[in-house]
Amino acid sequence: MTPHEWFIEHRTAFVIRTLEADEERSFREHLAGCAECRSEIERAERDLAWLPMGVVPVTPRPGLTRALVDGALGMRRTSPSWLVPLALAASFLLSVGSWYWAWSTVRGFEDDVAVERERIGRELAMTRDTLGIIRQAAMVRHADITMGGHKGGLIIFADTETHRWNVMVYGLPAPRPGQVCQFWFITDSGMVRSVPVQTQMGAPAFLTLGMPSAPGKVMGAALTVESAGSSNSAPQGPQLAHLML
Amino acid sequence: MPDPESGPANHSRPARPDGGPAGRLLTLEREASLQARLLARDERALVELVEIATPWLLAVAQGMLADRDEAEEVVQEAFTIAWRRVDLFDRESGRLIPWLLRITRNRAIDRLRGHRRRALKARRLESFQVFGEGSTAPQEPDEAARPGWHVHETVHAALRQLPVDQQAVVHLAYFEGLTHSEIAGRLGIPLGTVKTRLRLAFDKLRTGLASIREWVL
Repeated sequence: MTPHEWFIEHRTAFVIRTLEADEERSFREHLAGCAECRSEIERAERDLAWLPMGVVPVTPRPGLTRALVDGALGMRRTSPSWLVPLALAASFLLSVGSWYWAWSTVRGFEDDVAVERERIGRELAMTRDTLGIIRQAAMVRHADITMGGHKGGLIIFADTETHRWNVMVYGLPAPRPGQVCQFWFITDSGMVRSVPVQTQMGAPAFLTLGMPSAPGKVMGAALTVESAGSSNSAPQGPQLAHLML
Repeated sequence: MPDPESGPANHSRPARPDGGPAGRLLTLEREASLQARLLARDERALVELVEIATPWLLAVAQGMLADRDEAEEVVQEAFTIAWRRVDLFDRESGRLIPWLLRITRNRAIDRLRGHRRRALKARRLESFQVFGEGSTAPQEPDEAARPGWHVHETVHAALRQLPVDQQAVVHLAYFEGLTHSEIAGRLGIPLGTVKTRLRLAFDKLRTGLASIREWVL
């Protein structure tokens, strides 16, 4: 089955939303460039427009209709006039109470702020570390990649001091359903499986990788397309990129 | 909200897009007027739309979410979008009520999948039922007069024309919002069988429902 035949076969599934999340995402990306599928999807939507009416209607709770209108208009219902003095009294009590509440809870806020500051500090340290690998990179390697008619690339920033790589894969669409882009280390003892790379148009994938624990000197890297769930120790699918240091 | 100018729907005769006997609850002209008034920011048009559509939208959302409060939130979102973004509604390619139904269904599915309410859905297995004989019987004395009841009857008849195994997958896919793999797991059948049954069922439904594409409530 060609890629387009897969999309033809799953048009109705896309319309009724029975595709899995990754399939639905791939379908949306395909639709952006396929006028035929867009037109067929619109036809199917029109044909099935009334299908939701197969449900048995539910009588709204009392007051719901009014609440829905007010909600859509972004307003609340006007209060009855007798509520005004009551509301004024309540607001006075509330203002006194809220002053006490604010004073007593300010300590709680301080704790929350401290936790948040710690979290931001951790994220900042991670970001600095990532940037450090890029700035200290002793070697930078780049390979052009073409996948599904899209041109992208693979860049490796190799930090020889910390023995870590920052890897960026950009400009590539998500693989077809049931497939993944797999990153491999090339060592002098053979290929070593690393991690799958989540490719997506408009969103480059960034990875920070340590060197593999398997014996052998790292000499380069490769990117292939493999079956999802595969744990083969050597690439089986087509190779997208092959980079030697 | 029944049109004061018309009587209850006549169930023995099909509705026609030109506002035939059963279609007079919301004629094409009235729907066009409703859309025009919504575009003109007429709040009374919004009230009218809410009264007509809410029972159906609630049923769609509640069927998927199994939670009345959350279903009401979804319906609220649908009407808010309809009111604020009615300018995006393409009158050439669609109808107002189906547009609202689609927004509601998509929002409900997004919530369903976002919340990962699989356990809740599994518990609802016991309440699962295909489109049985009694489902078109009005539940309330004036239900048959509700705008849209004639559309409901026609859709329901098309669903009941399907073989029972296809009804089951359509119910789980379309009215409960499950994905292919979830349906396969629920029914204990291969994924390929689910896809085949759905494809056969929806080919028939598209043919069966194409004739009412231009109907009004």
